[in-house]
Amino acid sequence: MKINLSKVASSAILATMLGGIVAPANAANWLMLQGTEPEGSAPRAKVWGFIQPEYTKTDGTKIKAGPWKGEDMILNQMRPDLKSSEGFNMLRARLGVRGTGMPLDSNVNYFLLAEFGNNGITRGDGGSAKVTDASVTLNHLKDFARFRVGTFKTPGSEEGLQAIHVFDYINFTGATNGLLLERFFKYDGSGTFVSPNAGPNTASDSGQVNKPTGPVGAFRDTGIQVFNSFNLSGWDTSYAYMVGNGNGITRGDNDGEMETYAYLSTEKVFGGKGPRRQGFKLFAWNQEGKRNLTLEKGNAVASDDEEKQFDRKRSGYGFTFKKGNYRAAFEAIKADGMIFNGTDGGAVAGTKSKLPAGAAGKFTTNGDVGGDGQLNASFNMEPIGKADGMYLHVGYAITPKLEVDFRYDEYNRMTDVAAKERKFETNTLGVQYFFNKKSRLIINYEQREAEAPNLPADHNANKILDSVDDRLSAQILVIF
Amino acid sequence: MKRSIVALIATCLSLGMMLTSFNAQAAKKSFADKKVVLQISDPNPFKQTLVLNVANNLIKHYGPDQVDVEIVAFGPGLRLLFAENSNKGRVNSLVSNGVRFSACKNTIKNMAKKLGSDPELNQHAVKVDAGVVRIIDLVKQGYTLVKP
Repeated sequence: MKINLSKVASSAILATMLGGIVAPANAANWLMLQGTEPEGSAPRAKVWGFIQPEYTKTDGTKIKAGPWKGEDMILNQMRPDLKSSEGFNMLRARLGVRGTGMPLDSNVNYFLLAEFGNNGITRGDGGSAKVTDASVTLNHLKDFARFRVGTFKTPGSEEGLQAIHVFDYINFTGATNGLLLERFFKYDGSGTFVSPNAGPNTASDSGQVNKPTGPVGAFRDTGIQVFNSFNLSGWDTSYAYMVGNGNGITRGDNDGEMETYAYLSTEKVFGGKGPRRQGFKLFAWNQEGKRNLTLEKGNAVASDDEEKQFDRKRSGYGFTFKKGNYRAAFEAIKADGMIFNGTDGGAVAGTKSKLPAGAAGKFTTNGDVGGDGQLNASFNMEPIGKADGMYLHVGYAITPKLEVDFRYDEYNRMTDVAAKERKFETNTLGVQYFFNKKSRLIINYEQREAEAPNLPADHNANKILDSVDDRLSAQILVIF
Repeated sequence: MKRSIVALIATCLSLGMMLTSFNAQAAKKSFADKKVVLQISDPNPFKQTLVLNVANNLIKHYGPDQVDVEIVAFGPGLRLLFAENSNKGRVNSLVSNGVRFSACKNTIKNMAKKLGSDPELNQHAVKVDAGVVRIIDLVKQGYTLVKP
């Protein structure tokens, strides 16, 4: 499945303009909610934010096989520190200001948001706070197009684009986490490649653990977006086309290659307004760009390292539904290139491997930091490869204060290479208790399964994946 | 006979003029039991919602024929009467229930200096010389001033 929405979006934009359908939709959507302010009634500066303390627990099962047998399984550890399988974390604490600099002029508005929590945004390269959003929207041609410039959420997957403080669950789905929440790396990590049954064969060329070079992408980029929303025969229809650096947050461009994002959605609004309005929405999106990556070529020879440029494509489509007490959502995601491929042997990056019997000295290469024949587990990127995933969510509000949710999600990594293919399935049962409209308790139980579908059940890869535990999470969310 | 016809026409014309005058000066001629003037002059957008809520509640409680409501906007509160204000749907709905909206000319003039041109106002907004003077006049006529 290849969805090239760039052309579709361009055609739709043109058709919309030429068609003279210029009445702006009154109802809001993510593009409008995050990129614009209500006309004539926006404050000069509205201070807002939210905090999300959480508790997470897994059984802490150790890796069952391979060079890192007995070590912590990365998927069983608490994010972002990965040092414990149980504990509390101040996941998100965000503070923002938005409004119109000059309230008399609704044609210009801004959005500023910073993260103070403990997560992949703030832990990426030190520092305890990061600006995640800083953008200005120009609405002078609002009957046709609005322009947003700066750093902000890219028009794309519903799970990434939606306001996180109305997210019904605590953790992202496997596909969103693996394919869309981008980690940026300098190396591919193949210097510590683990052959499926034989253990590591060499050390990282860099002599260091291959880890992200900074904050996660956070579904954001820096660039310019043209977008708008129209009432098309009773459907709130939106488009967006963005050009950005393709480097997430807190980075400038590094390669002169621009990332492109195209997005279309149309929603039959049943009622309400804001982020929890009721409606049936269809959406589709496409993202294309290039990434530089240094290939270690699976050996310890630094001199043959080679930096190359690779395509990175993502696309998806789906729907959301909310009416009365019922909620549902579905999204299918496809990925081509720059596939995030986890860590060596399922270990936490930086963990030293066991020294296989009779292999002493085998690993004492220039990459063996410790000099003791052991290897440090690294993150891996597959520059050429495919992956896909999907999720289906249903929810029911038993009372205005109590909602139950269920989500099935699937993430298939490296689907084009049989030996490397990994399949992750998660069933999430969730409960949300609303203390009031802006405060709630969320409890999730995730039943998690993972396998290498094309390898024997007793293969080390499957033994390692069998180490993945179920996960219990609880979170308090307060918006102010 | 001719005199009678002329008299009839004159009477009709006079009645017409009186009716026109009545509409223009509705506040002065109101027969409603309750008369309320609502002031909106605050920059806080929440006050826009609040003043519209209050007007709506008055109409709902007393009925459109039993209460005379005028909302006078001046200062930063004039944004409520901007043509593209996000509450324009509610403003139009209240107008259909007899609520009147007055826009201060002094504020318009000051805003025009900052904007470079007059702000485009809601078509139902009636310009008055000065918002505060309009309120004083209405209070003199027996209106109760409420500033939500």
